[in-house]
Amino acid sequence: MAVAQGAPPRGALISFKIPRGRGASLGLYIVRRILWLVPVLFFVITITFVLMHLAPGSPWDREGKQLSAAVVRNLNAKYGLSDPFFVQYLRYLVNVVHFDFGLSFQYEDQPVSSLILKSWPPTAVIGALAFLMIVVFGIGIGVVAALRQNTWVDYIVVGFSTVGASTPAFVLGIILIIIFSVTLYRVTGGNFSLPTGDFALDQHLIMPVVTLSTLPIAFIARLTRASTLEVLRQDFVRTAWAKGLRERLVVTKHVLKNSLIPVVSALGPTFAVLITGSVIVESVFNIPGIGRAFVIAVGSRDYPMILATTILFSVVVALANLVVDLLYTAIDPRVRLG
Amino acid sequence: MAAATVSLEQIDWENPEQIGLWQDAWQRFRRNPIAVGGLIFVCLLVLDALLAPLLVTLHLIADPLKQNVANSYASFSLQHLLGTDYLGRDLLSRVMFGARISLAIGLTVQVIYLLIGGTIGLVSGYLGGRVDNLLMRFVDIWYAFPDLLFLLVVVAVFKPSLFVIFGAIGIIGWVDLARLIRGQVLSLKEKEFVEGARAAGSGPSKIILRHLLPNTLGPIIVSLTFGIPRAIFLEATLSYLGVGIPPPTPSWGIMIQDGYQAIFAYPHQVLVPALALAITMLSFSFIGDGLRDAIDPRMRR
Amino acid sequence: MDDSVARFRWLRVPALVTVVGLLVAACGTSSPTTSNLAKDQTLRVNIVTEPNSLDPGQEQYSYEGAVGASISEALLKIKPDLSDAAPATAASYSVSSDGLTWTFKIRSNAKWSDGKPVTGADFVYAWQRILDPRLAAPYADPFFDGTIAGAADYGSLDAVKDAAKIPAFLSGLGLSAPDASTFVVKLQAPSPFFKWIASLWMSAPVRKDVVDQYGSDKWSTSPTSLITNGQYKVSELVSKDHITLVPNTNYWGGQPTVTKIINYEISDDNQAYAKYLNGELDEVNVPLANTDLVKNDPKLKNEIKFVPQLTLFWMDFNTRKAPFDNKQARLAFSKAVDRNALTTNVLKGRSQPATFFIPKGMNGYRPDLGKSQDFDPAAAKTMLTQAVGDPSKITIDFLIRNITANKQIGEFIADQLQTNLGVKVNQVVIDSKTVTTRLRAHNYSLYVGGWGADYPDDQDWFDIWMTGSGNVFGGYSNPAYDALVKKADTESDAKKRQDDYDQAQKLLIDDAGGGFLYQRNYMFLVKPYVQGLTTTAQDFEDVGDWFWGKVSIAQH
Repeated sequence: MAVAQGAPPRGALISFKIPRGRGASLGLYIVRRILWLVPVLFFVITITFVLMHLAPGSPWDREGKQLSAAVVRNLNAKYGLSDPFFVQYLRYLVNVVHFDFGLSFQYEDQPVSSLILKSWPPTAVIGALAFLMIVVFGIGIGVVAALRQNTWVDYIVVGFSTVGASTPAFVLGIILIIIFSVTLYRVTGGNFSLPTGDFALDQHLIMPVVTLSTLPIAFIARLTRASTLEVLRQDFVRTAWAKGLRERLVVTKHVLKNSLIPVVSALGPTFAVLITGSVIVESVFNIPGIGRAFVIAVGSRDYPMILATTILFSVVVALANLVVDLLYTAIDPRVRLG
Repeated sequence: MAAATVSLEQIDWENPEQIGLWQDAWQRFRRNPIAVGGLIFVCLLVLDALLAPLLVTLHLIADPLKQNVANSYASFSLQHLLGTDYLGRDLLSRVMFGARISLAIGLTVQVIYLLIGGTIGLVSGYLGGRVDNLLMRFVDIWYAFPDLLFLLVVVAVFKPSLFVIFGAIGIIGWVDLARLIRGQVLSLKEKEFVEGARAAGSGPSKIILRHLLPNTLGPIIVSLTFGIPRAIFLEATLSYLGVGIPPPTPSWGIMIQDGYQAIFAYPHQVLVPALALAITMLSFSFIGDGLRDAIDPRMRR
Repeated sequence: MDDSVARFRWLRVPALVTVVGLLVAACGTSSPTTSNLAKDQTLRVNIVTEPNSLDPGQEQYSYEGAVGASISEALLKIKPDLSDAAPATAASYSVSSDGLTWTFKIRSNAKWSDGKPVTGADFVYAWQRILDPRLAAPYADPFFDGTIAGAADYGSLDAVKDAAKIPAFLSGLGLSAPDASTFVVKLQAPSPFFKWIASLWMSAPVRKDVVDQYGSDKWSTSPTSLITNGQYKVSELVSKDHITLVPNTNYWGGQPTVTKIINYEISDDNQAYAKYLNGELDEVNVPLANTDLVKNDPKLKNEIKFVPQLTLFWMDFNTRKAPFDNKQARLAFSKAVDRNALTTNVLKGRSQPATFFIPKGMNGYRPDLGKSQDFDPAAAKTMLTQAVGDPSKITIDFLIRNITANKQIGEFIADQLQTNLGVKVNQVVIDSKTVTTRLRAHNYSLYVGGWGADYPDDQDWFDIWMTGSGNVFGGYSNPAYDALVKKADTESDAKKRQDDYDQAQKLLIDDAGGGFLYQRNYMFLVKPYVQGLTTTAQDFEDVGDWFWGKVSIAQH
């Protein structure tokens, strides 16, 4: 390892670490982290459950004509809401252990799990595509800009990342719609128009993906650029340059490896957010995704749907973070997991 | 690497000489025209935020709350330089007043982010092990937690007011910063100068404050400069979800939200506040970049 | 339809009615000539929101009725001009002389989409099902609230605790099918308005064997099991995207010209508007901000369709709280709002001012009764000062739902009250459910509420202001009003009934139970090739969606 040149001997670090962590294999570490999910989920469910019931408004409140008292009482009985709070809570925990997430209040009698299975795929597809764009373009242009600091390439990237990060997603989305779906309708022949009919992997996804990824690309590009500049100034890189190593080698072996740590740390949550849905992009492009489903569930106090989406969200976030931590070790072997 | 360790150890942050460091930084910052441009704009904005009510009293700008519904969605004119909104209120004046809320929310929220996220990130990354694990699980829980629900409850329990909304936004959004700082610290603490300091007997708090914090400043500043407009957007989203600043107080978030309804017919309604936001954002970014370049200790050579 | 429907629409689609009696004129239909029909008879419309259910027992919102009205057919169906309920699945009906027994004769050729005949038993089953506490049908009240004999006990039956009593309760209801083609309903009291209830979506039949086979919660979620008796049937259900309808080949009334209806679920106004401009939708609600743009566009202005709706909004004063416990203060607040500025400028001429309660298009429409609430800022201020003292010492909590359109109206009204009366108004804009909770808890001073007709009968309107009604939160109570309405509701002499209702309306307006504001109208764009559009003042999400069967697509 080139970096190891200046690195202290590994043994010197041991005293600061929990020895147990040193001994644990990667597999054990992963298992332990996944087991950690159980208490995390328990807390998430508990807090959500309490907050949900604290939030004013019942699922049966209406905006105009109100349901009659008799109907409300029957609905409460039907969905078990007339039981004491603690009974409801325990029942929910028991059901969750059996992977039973209950029936939706809003979509009369439909199982929440099937509602989620219906609304998650579109979100996940768009989110994954956007994430790919972010990794490729965000890191790519960030590194290029840093290597060519204070050239026109750098200025363009900085300009883009600044403007990109200052454009609200819904403004960008609607501007894209006005340009490509309305003004240029004849030119594009409706090919860029919004998806109608079944959600499918086709050119209709271009605009939502661009809208969803522009801001994170700008953010990641900036972060990559800043962190790459930082690394470029460090001595081992200077030394490498001085030794006359070829540029590509320096970049890949030395710079990228060190500059990606903050980037990877930012990508984890970004991935989690993308994959669990952006309400704004889903609304602007009318994507039947889970982000919208969640907001609608909160708005209509659809308790089972709120809980199930939250659980899904926590699992995805926890897994994304696990991947980030694993990536740290891959990028920088000196970082150890405890 | 030995050289780097030495050079960093040479900077004594508690020594009076440190003033020289900040003076140096200021010198460098001043030589950066873009950064200075950003700073000037932000200063103007602060001035605007402070003086806007006075300007109304002096009749230099229109009253941002004065309705004239017969003149709604008016186009640019001498009387209304940027036209009027859906209730015939002066758009220019509303944008100028919007700066008050937006600046306040952007800055306050960053302070909260920095306090919570910074502390948790530094401690978690530095101490590692069990503490790190616990704190990161706490972060997981916090992250997984539905913000919306939290905000709804907070607003229901307390009345929607500026203070409550600032606090609520600050409390829900620090997680990214915590993770970012933790990642930085994780990599930094393995570096030689930290090892050196530790070997020299420095305690954890000293190492965190003296060595880790200054060295994570670059990414933190980048993150914070982006955090300001994000906090402002969040305010807009909150308004959209009904837990935002109560009307009629104008904020850029609310103006973008309202203007969005008219995006086909009167695009300037959304463009004016969006541009104000974009330029503010740009300025903060320029300042952030300038600051980072100026105070980065490794540039001192 | 109930006003909860209005949540997606309310204050969003106010339109202008220029001529009295336009209701009938608005239903203008151009008869299609077969020669110029387009090859592709597909109609594409936007129902805005995904229906929560297409089960007639579960429907409650207008975006559900928009599809329900085409796929499920009740005993009767409203006439386009709302003058009467016309025969639908029932070929005819008769009412006994005491007004208590209604006998419906089912058409012999009425068939389900799978070809089986529709029978009286199907109706008995469907109606009993709605009154079964275990189903907890949200819209059960028109069936048990003073109507079907034996149903009053619905209010005291608990789905869990009284499970054993439920079968007896259901079989004891005044519902029977003496033979396959007859359905008899016995009522608790004479109800002249019952013909309207028999034409509501919930009065459509449901097939017991289908529900038993697929499950009460599942049968309506898939096109294969969604067996219905309307002119159309569902062929495709794509969650949060669209619902496709095709003709029910077994329908008794012949085949419609349009062979496919795609109901998109596009929640964003501007996006739907863009799709219309692109030719991807055949009709669209015009976003409020685009009103002037559309009116001044040489092409679009010819595609405008104004349709007045039986929906009216008012300021809901919390009469339990000062200053609104004072009648003069309420009147003063009502007189302080400039309805013309509201309807012409804020709502861009898409609604009409109202200082009265019963909207244009109903029998009880009496604009002359609204004089006491006419806009008069000077008089209003004097009146308020005399009634409760210095206005500048009054602070009002004004509750507003967090919907952009509501906020805009709210800002205008708050400004009117502050400017014209000198009171201080706190605008409390919060999450919709929180607003309802605070309304129920009477924790507010002012709120803008409204009512949309379930059916075009005065009874549906006047009942909501009776003491203890759950649909107006302000707590207005006047025994004289209650007595008049109670008498009129069961009065079979139309003239006497109307007189009582008129007196009641006068009381309500002069008491300022509410500060009446405006009647909402739809403003739509409809492609010129859509022929035979038949609109009503009770349309759901699209103008003409009660009568898609009459539409055809011309060549274009």
